[in-house]
Amino acid sequence: MKIIVAIKQVPERDAQVRIDSSGKWIEESDVQYAMNESDAYALEEALQLKEKHAGEVIVVSAGPERVGTTIREALAKGADRAIHIDCDDLAQRDALGVARLIADAIRTENADLVLTGLQSDDLGYGQTGVILAELLGVPHSTLILHVEKTDTGLKVKRELEAGWFQEIELPLPAALTIQSGGNKLRYATLMGIKKAKTKEMRVVNAADLGAPAAPVAALESIELPKKQRSTQIIPGDAKAAAATLVEKLKFEVRVL
Amino acid sequence: MTSLSATLAEPQHFSLPEKLLFLVLVIASAALFWRRFGPILHKILQSRKDPDFHLAPIGRRVWNFFTEVICQVKVIQQRPLPGLAHAFVFWGFCAFALVTLNHAAVGFGIGFLDPAAWYGRIYFYLAAAFAVACAIGIAGLFIRRFFVRPRWLGQKVSSESGIIAGLIFLLMVTYLAAFFTTDAAPAARVLWWIHTLTLLLFLPLIPHTKHLHLVLSPATIFLSRDGFSQIPPLVGDEDFGLVTGKDITQLVSLQAYSCVECGRCTEHCPATNTGKELNPKEVILGMRAYLNGPGPASELPILTGEGGVYVSQKAVFQCTTCGSCEFQCPVGIQHLPIIVGLRRGAVNTGTWEDDYGSKLFNQLERGSNALGISALERDKFIQKQELPIFDGTQEYCLWLGCMGGYDPKGREIVAAFARVMNFLGSSYGVLKKEKCTGDPVRRLGNDLLFQQLAEENLKNLAQNKVKKIVSICPHCVRTIQEDWKAYGAPPEIEHHTEFMARYADKLPRIADSGVPQVSRLRPGNETADDARSVTGHDFSRAESAEKKDWALAPAKSEKIVFHDPCYLGRYRNVYDQPRELIQITGTLVEAPRHRERSFCCGAGGGLAFLGEETGERVSHARAKELVATGATTIGTACPFCNTMFRDALGEMNGTAPQLLDVAQLIARNLGG
Amino acid sequence: MSAVYVVLEERDGRVSRASWEALAAGQKLAAQSGGAVTAVVLGATTQALANEAAARGATQVVRVEHPLLAHYTSDGYTLALQQMIQKLAPPQVVFPHTYQVRDFAPALAARLNEVLISDVVAIGDGPVFTRQLLQGRLAGNYRHHGDGPCLISVQAGAFRADEPSSASTQPAIETFTPQIDASQIRTKPGEPFRGTAQTVDLGSAPLIVSVGRGIKEADNLPIVQELATALGAELAASRPICDNGWLPMERQVGSSGQTVSPKLYLAVGISGAIQHLVGMKGSQCIVAINKDPDAPIFEVADYGIVGDLFEVVPALTEAIKAAK
Repeated sequence: MKIIVAIKQVPERDAQVRIDSSGKWIEESDVQYAMNESDAYALEEALQLKEKHAGEVIVVSAGPERVGTTIREALAKGADRAIHIDCDDLAQRDALGVARLIADAIRTENADLVLTGLQSDDLGYGQTGVILAELLGVPHSTLILHVEKTDTGLKVKRELEAGWFQEIELPLPAALTIQSGGNKLRYATLMGIKKAKTKEMRVVNAADLGAPAAPVAALESIELPKKQRSTQIIPGDAKAAAATLVEKLKFEVRVL
Repeated sequence: MTSLSATLAEPQHFSLPEKLLFLVLVIASAALFWRRFGPILHKILQSRKDPDFHLAPIGRRVWNFFTEVICQVKVIQQRPLPGLAHAFVFWGFCAFALVTLNHAAVGFGIGFLDPAAWYGRIYFYLAAAFAVACAIGIAGLFIRRFFVRPRWLGQKVSSESGIIAGLIFLLMVTYLAAFFTTDAAPAARVLWWIHTLTLLLFLPLIPHTKHLHLVLSPATIFLSRDGFSQIPPLVGDEDFGLVTGKDITQLVSLQAYSCVECGRCTEHCPATNTGKELNPKEVILGMRAYLNGPGPASELPILTGEGGVYVSQKAVFQCTTCGSCEFQCPVGIQHLPIIVGLRRGAVNTGTWEDDYGSKLFNQLERGSNALGISALERDKFIQKQELPIFDGTQEYCLWLGCMGGYDPKGREIVAAFARVMNFLGSSYGVLKKEKCTGDPVRRLGNDLLFQQLAEENLKNLAQNKVKKIVSICPHCVRTIQEDWKAYGAPPEIEHHTEFMARYADKLPRIADSGVPQVSRLRPGNETADDARSVTGHDFSRAESAEKKDWALAPAKSEKIVFHDPCYLGRYRNVYDQPRELIQITGTLVEAPRHRERSFCCGAGGGLAFLGEETGERVSHARAKELVATGATTIGTACPFCNTMFRDALGEMNGTAPQLLDVAQLIARNLGG
Repeated sequence: MSAVYVVLEERDGRVSRASWEALAAGQKLAAQSGGAVTAVVLGATTQALANEAAARGATQVVRVEHPLLAHYTSDGYTLALQQMIQKLAPPQVVFPHTYQVRDFAPALAARLNEVLISDVVAIGDGPVFTRQLLQGRLAGNYRHHGDGPCLISVQAGAFRADEPSSASTQPAIETFTPQIDASQIRTKPGEPFRGTAQTVDLGSAPLIVSVGRGIKEADNLPIVQELATALGAELAASRPICDNGWLPMERQVGSSGQTVSPKLYLAVGISGAIQHLVGMKGSQCIVAINKDPDAPIFEVADYGIVGDLFEVVPALTEAIKAAK
């Protein structure tokens, strides 16, 4: 089974958030990067499928040179080879543009299955996987927690809202976006990193894949959100406080 | 009846057949000895060379040899009565060296120590005194092993021990009996032959039993690793730790073969004492069994599953790295590098599958701390406490660590220590960014992640121009000072009790009269009367009281029991400074197991992050011991110990003593 | 000319609440251009849904009906809406940002050479669409530049659904029948199901009420149990409660138990020790009830009540029952 996993390198969760001079993104100079969380789960799902059904796991990632670290981490965890789409202007592309880039880079691989994480920790569009499926002309499903191979294709477990789940059957080739938490993630090992050194990492220049179209949905500016999380202590006696809390739960938290 | 002037009887003449027989027997005995010892020696030498072994500093090695081998200091100090008995057996052996040589020489007719001569007489009488002591000693040890049966010697009765004990006893008795006969008497000859046969039987038995330590342990002690819990570096691209026989080094082999199965390591192990599978003695014997089985060139993995033949992976991951085993061992075995080595072998190759472990590693792969909490929380804490930020101009960098930065109890300790530093007018600051030092990851054996953390931290410290660090956590202190050395040059670092002890005379003391000097009240929560009566204070408020480090006013009569943290005591040899500080603020009380024998709180070795323990919880066992001292306060010097005991005490519904770090004990005396 | 189409989603035969919020967002958007809002409903039979939309004040409704739309599939919905958009050419289309919309709307947009602006939390003049970036640490402002329709999805809770206004007297309802062939539906969806009944799946519970040592005795647990039932929440506990055997181990939240990230985590009588915090810090909204104002739980809570839980919890249970 040939599985391609698209992973994204995103700023670390703990990164200091300061807006850069252009006003369009954060200051990247002292930001550290890590693999996007749901992509790590996608990688784990791919590796488990390979362990069960034999085959190949290829990781693909778009971005500047620093993306190499995350790719190597994926190779260290067990991916067989990698494609690095060397691209310095990822921020100038919208979700369709990014998906086109990836689709063009992997089309000739004719993979059986393409996996992406559900959404990225930085931009959070949650669309790349779905658009990829559309561009590659394959069926897809999203928010997948578990993938099982069947004689006719795949049976996947999809998460629905409010604690419900659903099983979906679909034929191969297909694309899936993977939700976090479906598996226990394996950790990168020293042995894995050493082996990764000998694995193939093919570099594809974004420029060679065609000039990007102007973004349809453009990020114009960013700002720090106005609301900061702070604790509201609700005053009053038990009855009054309870009443106030119920108001909050109804209108602000929206769980009632 | 013989008089005191009796001398040792030596048969004067041996016939040629007798001499030949003796020669043959000597050769046979030596051959049998070598038949077993040779391969063992070969296995040890065939093992991989230790990459970090240096003979220098030779002075330390000579000193350790003198104290531990010759003077038997550790043997006696840690187990006095049996230790003394053993010491006599050992000294007896040493004293007997010349006796035995002469004895053999006599057999060939070339005895050189004349029992009638003055020097012979003195020597043989001296030896006789040792023989008596040795005989009593070995008899005592025999009775202890076979009749008293201490639990750490194991359930099975060791018949080989019995045989060896018997042989030694016979040697002593036959020697002593020779004083009561004459040279010419046939008894002398009989005694000579019995003694000889006993010797020649004893010699080949040595390498077949744990008495191999007679030959090996002096070398083991002399050649031991430099430093406590010294984890060796990995060498080359194929080295992942102790995975197979090929990874076993010469020191590890030598140590595995030196084990005398005394069980001192077992006796003090917190895991064994609380019903876990781990028994440090079994780890070493497992290594020995592996060496005897697959051997040092084998590619079979050492760690097997539960109930495995050699060493159990499950057991190895129950170790808190407290170091009691290594500390106690009288023959120089260093358990921690072996246990961590086995862990490395499993983790670096990905064969350790543990949900909590994976979670810890993933958290540190992508985050800054072992708890998986956003770094923003640490920023908020720094702001709230108004801690100064380190900017390169201050003298000290106050390292918060994961516990100090994120754990509520750890934060209280930091806040208290900051108050002390402010009081002392120290120049310090807190780094804007910190990453976990990697202690749990290092002890669990994840070298990839540890290297990343160490290198990032070292870079951060260098960029910020940090020269001196003070920390509230002994794990951070140890990891920064020792373990980071493999990846760079860490700045100086000390523990906060070492820091405070230097200024002990500047810190306000409690009046000896017992009248509290300071009574800081939280408005509305306690009355002035409550604060002044120390003996009658309300324990049911222990939960809320423990957070207010000045709520219960100290008095000289307040009994404070100090729990020595493993990483401060055994690892760093710091025992006196915290005690000195405690005595500023109360009366020091010791737990039965204290100082080098302090019993672990259970958090070390990464175990604080590994979830449920089986059996009794180590922290609860230790808490019980501390509470039983009758102290009203438990003093700690490590945020992990503090958090572990907080859990344990919390379940003692209402009667628990208060739990305070040394910094909090000092801070509560400060005015303002 | 209708400026904004709002695609409503069905849940259990009725229009979902998130859809009404999307409708409100659509109205806000339409106000900028002075255009009207059209509600869109999809399914095999959409009469009831359309009526509901009309009763809620929608002046125009499009019923997209086809037998193959009886159960949601990405292919079905994408084809249907693609055809509808190509025929009716709305300049702007609004969706609620639900799991279902995330499953098909990006593909729909791609098919139209457009990009969905997803998970919008605010609509400003322009229109400028605001989204959260870096998990809420930044806000980003987007504009649409394409030639085709502008598709957006709005975050649940970001727009307040208006109270139903008076029913529209003359709603214009049109039916659109897309061309869908069975061979075009490539996925086969199964029936939705809940996690196994026996095991407690706190990890996916949307609402959790958690109890700690403040409860003092096992006999007092029913107080909290009632609160959980009233809320429709799962019951969880901190470690000491489970250690004592008052609740099963699988209900433990914390470093040695489960890690949860519900929409609401109500911590009752829990002090907030680190071992517990690491298990629930991912919760979207944390409410704490504790009599100790210094309890560390208040540091991480969004809302807190400092008081005696034996008084607050029953009062809260009553208030919740009244509100539901």
